[in-house]
Amino acid sequence: MVHLHNISYHYSSGAGLSSVSLAANPGEFVYLIGPSGAGKSTVLKLIYMDIFPERGHVIVDKFNSMKMKKRYIPLLRRKLGIIFQDFKLLYDRSVYDNVAFVLQVTGAKKKELKKRVLRVLAEVGLSHKRNQNPIHLSGGEQQRVAIARALVNEPIILLADEPTGNLDPVATEEIMRLLEKINVKGTAVLMATHDYQLVGGPRKRVLRIENGRLL
Amino acid sequence: MLYSVKEGFAGLFRARLSTMVTISIITLSLLVNGVFLIFTINSKKVVDSIQDRIELEVFIDNSYDVVKTDQLRERIFSIQGIKNIKYISKDQAAEIFRQQFDQDIFEILNENPLPSSFQISLLREYRTSTYAESIIEKLKALDGVDDVVFRQDILVTFEKYMNIAYIVIMSVGGLLLLGSIFLVSNTIKLTILARLELINIMKLVGATKSLIRRPFVVEGLFQGIIGSSLAILILYGILKIVNIEVNNLIIINDEIYLILMVLGVFLGLSGSFLAIQRFIKY
Ligand SMILES: Nc1ncnc2c1ncn2[C@@H]1O[C@H](COP(=O)(O)OP(=O)(O)OP(=O)(O)O)[C@@H](O)[C@H]1O
Ligand SMILES: [Mg+2]
Repeated sequence: MVHLHNISYHYSSGAGLSSVSLAANPGEFVYLIGPSGAGKSTVLKLIYMDIFPERGHVIVDKFNSMKMKKRYIPLLRRKLGIIFQDFKLLYDRSVYDNVAFVLQVTGAKKKELKKRVLRVLAEVGLSHKRNQNPIHLSGGEQQRVAIARALVNEPIILLADEPTGNLDPVATEEIMRLLEKINVKGTAVLMATHDYQLVGGPRKRVLRIENGRLL
Repeated sequence: MLYSVKEGFAGLFRARLSTMVTISIITLSLLVNGVFLIFTINSKKVVDSIQDRIELEVFIDNSYDVVKTDQLRERIFSIQGIKNIKYISKDQAAEIFRQQFDQDIFEILNENPLPSSFQISLLREYRTSTYAESIIEKLKALDGVDDVVFRQDILVTFEKYMNIAYIVIMSVGGLLLLGSIFLVSNTIKLTILARLELINIMKLVGATKSLIRRPFVVEGLFQGIIGSSLAILILYGILKIVNIEVNNLIIINDEIYLILMVLGVFLGLSGSFLAIQRFIKY
């Protein structure tokens, strides 16, 4: 479903990835763990095709980085859910609109839209805060809005880049439980983190990355 | 589509300051363009009134009586391009002479040597030196026409200046419009910079280029409409005042307001379209 084949990628600074191969299968929960600067975010960027490899190729669903045309990138992104350490929410609109936004810009029908937004807000436990501006929510709640936004398009995989990086231990625990619940329901999760304490648990695979190489 | 309209409308209020700046820039550009347009239209009126004075004078054979003169008039009328024929009798010619020279022609000569004539004006589209020449040829070939007088040199000089004026006006107008588009698009770019986060999130969740662009273009459209409405109001007010102060100094066609509205919409659309282009690339 998601494959990286022998990838090399380097930024102009010289840092990057060398000969990285990995795969994430449907329904899997994969940790990508490594110290700061190891190349975790770079791996995720290659998957959502923000960058393209110098060598090797990336396959996501039916999209191949070697044959990828720029205008297909939106179609690829609709198959992915992506969350970040800094939430990347829009603070000029409500929680509901932050999530509905995804369906609006990808052209869903209005009736279908409302149903799906409310369902996914219920899933992350924020139905009651749907009309609030996310600026008034706690960090954990904001990340849950981001997760709802990532899930509303029913992605084949949820990419999480350090999703608990800005959260206190309680909120971190909450988000981890939510990610697990989502995974149990069938969505694959690929989570990048440098927090070794988070890693582990049943049915989870751990990939270690250091200095741009997979160990 | 509904989303783009809502989003574009909301955008007007989200970034109130830059919206106001953009609208002001559009209004200003339109005012400059509008003043230029009024100037052009008014010079055209002056030109037309000069062209109206371009006339041919046809002198009639002295032996022609009223009946024959009338027949000649008919024959002249059958030539293409003739708008109007005015008959000047010998007596009238003498009167015109007296007015021009302050002296009676009969004091110089015992008889009236001035021939009767037709003053002929041409239809507007025939008032070029080439057409005038061919009409003169046809007139000269008619029986009963002694001579045809026409200040051709005036027309030729006039045409030359008109061509230069036309080129100057078109280039100045074109430059004004290009400058306006550039200015508006750069102003809108500042608005967009403040909302890069929105654009980046749209890219992240898989919005196509055209979907990212649309709300911004709709916003540009609104700004164009508001900007041109303001420009129209201001221009209307100024012209009203000037025309009251100095009796109908400036001639205005109402179409100019329509042109300004179209221009404003065009500025808003093209400005925002150009401005967003760089930011929607994947
Ligand atoms: N846009 C960029 N230009 C130049 N160098 C970059 C760029 N982005 C990342 N790098 C460098 O590439 C290396 C890998 O970066 P990456 O962001 O993938 O690390 P990471 O494992 O996600 O680290 P962190 O835990 O700090 O997020 C780092 O050395 C980083 O400095
Ligand atoms: Mg990172």
